[in-house]
Amino acid sequence: MCGLNGIFAYHPSASSPREQELFATREHMRARGPDGAGIWWSPERRCGLAHRRLAILDLSDRAAQPMASTDGSLAVVFNGEIYNYPELKAELERDGAAFRSTSDTEVLIHLYQRFGAKMVAKLRGMFAFAIWDQKKRGIFLARDPYGIKPLYISNDGWTFRFASQVKALLAGGAVSRDPEPAGIVGFHLFGSVPEPFTLYRDISSLPAGHTLWVDRMGMREPQRYHSIATTLAKGAREKVESATIDARVRAAALDSVRAHMLADVEVGLFLSAGVDSGALLGLIHDATGANVRAITLAFSTFAGTQEDEAPLAAKIAERYGAQHIVRHVNEAEFRHDLPNFLATMDQPTIDGVNTWFACKAAAEAGLKVALSGLGGDEILAGYPSFVDIPRWVGVFAGVRMIPGLGPGLRLLGSAIGLSKNTPKIVGMPEYGGTYPGAYLLRRGLLLPFELQTVLAPDVIRNGLFRLNLFANLSASLMPDPGSALGRVAALESCHYMRNQLLRDSDWTSMAHSVELRTPLVDSKFLSDVAPLLPHLGRNRGKYALANAPSNPLPDEVAHRAKTGFVVPMQSWTHAALFQPALPVGAKGLVSRNWAKHIFRTYQPAA
Amino acid sequence: MKVLALVPEAFGGHGGIAQYNRDLITALARSGGVESVRILPRLAAGPVGELPAKVTQADPIFARSRYVLNVFAEALWRRPDLIFSGHLYTAPLARHLAKLIGAPYVVQLHGTEVWREPSPAQRTALEKADAVLCVSRHTRAQTVKFTRAAQNRVIVVPNTVGADYRPGDREAARRKWGLRDEFVLLSVGRLDSREGYKGHDQVIDAIPELADQNRKIVYYISGDGDDRTRLETLAERRGVSDRVLFLGFTPRNELPDLYRAADVFVMPSRGEGFGIVFLEAMASGTPALGYAIGGATDPLDFGDWGRAIAADQLLAALDDMIAMPRPDSEKMFQAVRKRFGFDVFAQQVEDQLVRRFAAAA
Repeated sequence: MCGLNGIFAYHPSASSPREQELFATREHMRARGPDGAGIWWSPERRCGLAHRRLAILDLSDRAAQPMASTDGSLAVVFNGEIYNYPELKAELERDGAAFRSTSDTEVLIHLYQRFGAKMVAKLRGMFAFAIWDQKKRGIFLARDPYGIKPLYISNDGWTFRFASQVKALLAGGAVSRDPEPAGIVGFHLFGSVPEPFTLYRDISSLPAGHTLWVDRMGMREPQRYHSIATTLAKGAREKVESATIDARVRAAALDSVRAHMLADVEVGLFLSAGVDSGALLGLIHDATGANVRAITLAFSTFAGTQEDEAPLAAKIAERYGAQHIVRHVNEAEFRHDLPNFLATMDQPTIDGVNTWFACKAAAEAGLKVALSGLGGDEILAGYPSFVDIPRWVGVFAGVRMIPGLGPGLRLLGSAIGLSKNTPKIVGMPEYGGTYPGAYLLRRGLLLPFELQTVLAPDVIRNGLFRLNLFANLSASLMPDPGSALGRVAALESCHYMRNQLLRDSDWTSMAHSVELRTPLVDSKFLSDVAPLLPHLGRNRGKYALANAPSNPLPDEVAHRAKTGFVVPMQSWTHAALFQPALPVGAKGLVSRNWAKHIFRTYQPAA
Repeated sequence: MKVLALVPEAFGGHGGIAQYNRDLITALARSGGVESVRILPRLAAGPVGELPAKVTQADPIFARSRYVLNVFAEALWRRPDLIFSGHLYTAPLARHLAKLIGAPYVVQLHGTEVWREPSPAQRTALEKADAVLCVSRHTRAQTVKFTRAAQNRVIVVPNTVGADYRPGDREAARRKWGLRDEFVLLSVGRLDSREGYKGHDQVIDAIPELADQNRKIVYYISGDGDDRTRLETLAERRGVSDRVLFLGFTPRNELPDLYRAADVFVMPSRGEGFGIVFLEAMASGTPALGYAIGGATDPLDFGDWGRAIAADQLLAALDDMIAMPRPDSEKMFQAVRKRFGFDVFAQQVEDQLVRRFAAAA
């Protein structure tokens, strides 16, 4: 894993890029890659690439980046892992390619040489990379199908810039800090900044599953090469025998775990008391027989209560022969870390605290790589949203037939005081009748009509216009994923998981120089389980995952009610901000106050 | 490829927009991929003169409804492969026209027209355009800010500097204006009270503070307009009437010598869509100074030779430039030409208009 950045003065009228800027952007990402750093310039000095390295595959200097091809016609900077690189390398070697290293980076060069932009279809992994093509005087960029790895781009009409982090681009000093109202409104609606927007108008993310070409004619339209909705739709057309589901989930998960264990350093695991990480541990045992180290967070507030995950996690660890590390976190440490947490945050987000401590613990244990169970709920229908959203759509679809009825009922509800403590209830008739609307109800922190309580009218007007919220949400449902569960899976994967979970995983892990890997967020795993998804009724998918290890998870794990880390964070953040104790049943309001605090204290790079 | 160009003015017109349209159409006509360019102007105040090969220009029609009718008639008759709208005001018309005949359309933006939010019809026309050409990065940023136009279709094609702006006989030029050893600050631009943003008053204000050990510092103001009286009064009040010279309107063919005669070109303007005068000065061998506001940051991107400064640094920057030895004018000319010469401009027109739409034609 690493940090990458580059500047390309593509326009003939642009002045040449400055090394000082390239350097400043790179050095803002020191924590992403403490093991090495490099800078590379194209022969005419119109394009500069920079890289900070966290060495995981081929620890030698031969694998340092930026890496140029033998003939000097290509140069690459890369952040991520290509899990199928041994197969790709063997294939390329059969075709006569000569390798100088055993790194996955070099595979990218050879693949581009042979297949050009189509190379991305061959990759399995998480990645963001850029390849300078000296013959064509252009640069090729790509981002993985799920958007696990970030890639932010900025184009002012003369010069194209990119980096792994928003704040790194700002640190270069040449990118405008003019605000993007769509990013601001998006954060207040969801608690994270929805891609492709950032808080800055001139910085956007390259959409997940897309490639981009930039040359003297400027930045072209990003090209999509992977779509979650398409994969789900294709899967939904396949006939599935119910009896085969468990075996297929097992095969898919085992295959993904095996792929994700690829490393020249030790690989650990974040272990909770839930199904996803527990199953991963069991599958690691099946795949490698190794006794990996597993890290569990234990919160002082929960000691001795039902919510304490440590005892159950210890049982799971013991079952699969893992070395269990229980890392205790108390409120004092939370408060101590909070300023650093807020300062390191790349884009404002209301989550990420738990991953922050898990990664901190991994770094303390000397781990560079850890697997995470992230994604199991999104693809195996684990969230309550898989039940709620289709139900709401069924109930409220009729309301939409009568124009004005939804907003009318909302106003009525507000008038009789329904909106005070449960603001979303009054929005149900207005938004509940469609998948995007119901999704906003489920995941939204605020609903559009509530924005006026936190933002100025012109920011709301401009932001909603530019965000184009429902078009944005609907786009992730095209083509139709073919089943109710598929639609929810697409929405959860393309919004909550991409904008919130994966972003938080990236910046919190990178802040501790730890690579976080997600075997359940994987394009191959997705296409393997997509046919099964329409047939996964309530909890069916999670049970299948719990049974995936040859020695299945104990029943008390498989049937444990979902709790999550969130609860102590809720009360701690509330206490950190407002001193008095948390009012009962006010979870939603705490999130909103926390969001306000995050937004107020968010600082762009110095 | 046949191009239909809707423009406020081009050949026979005055000012920056007419000049840009002339340059662009000249570049288009030179392209091997272009069969013809038909210009439909609203205005042509002066003589049209000789048109480039493959270019024809209709008589100007100022009346709006007649202009629209004529545009539709021409489009249906000529069936162009590309519609070029040389101004934001004709963008909605270009959009409807393009839809009617099934051709792509391109909108050219010059600067200040998008400093305010465009009308809904204009916004839609920008969002649906196959390309929006902007003269500066700032114009582009404004376009991106006010529309949902796909960023990859909003492109910068900057103004180009005329070939006759180049270093020449500086001593002869200085004799022309009766200069001996004075240090000459120069501004070139209309003295329009509505365009008071050009910043002449700030230079006049600064003059008493400026000092040079050996030379008298004078300020030459080229251009005329209804703001002149105010500026003259200001010079008197500041006690620098003898050092501020109002030249009035300078004919186009005398401008290169005027730039050559000057020591520093300064125009602390707050409202430049691009600021071609900065490039003209530098191409003629005179370093230039202005504010990093609006489009001026693009021509003023030449290090010591062309500086865009913050608004509170005018005095310090002037002091610094007065102390700086005069740069090698040939080097400066080459640097400007390399980035803003006509060949570079023509290549961009070829790339962004001809190559981009050749497949569609």
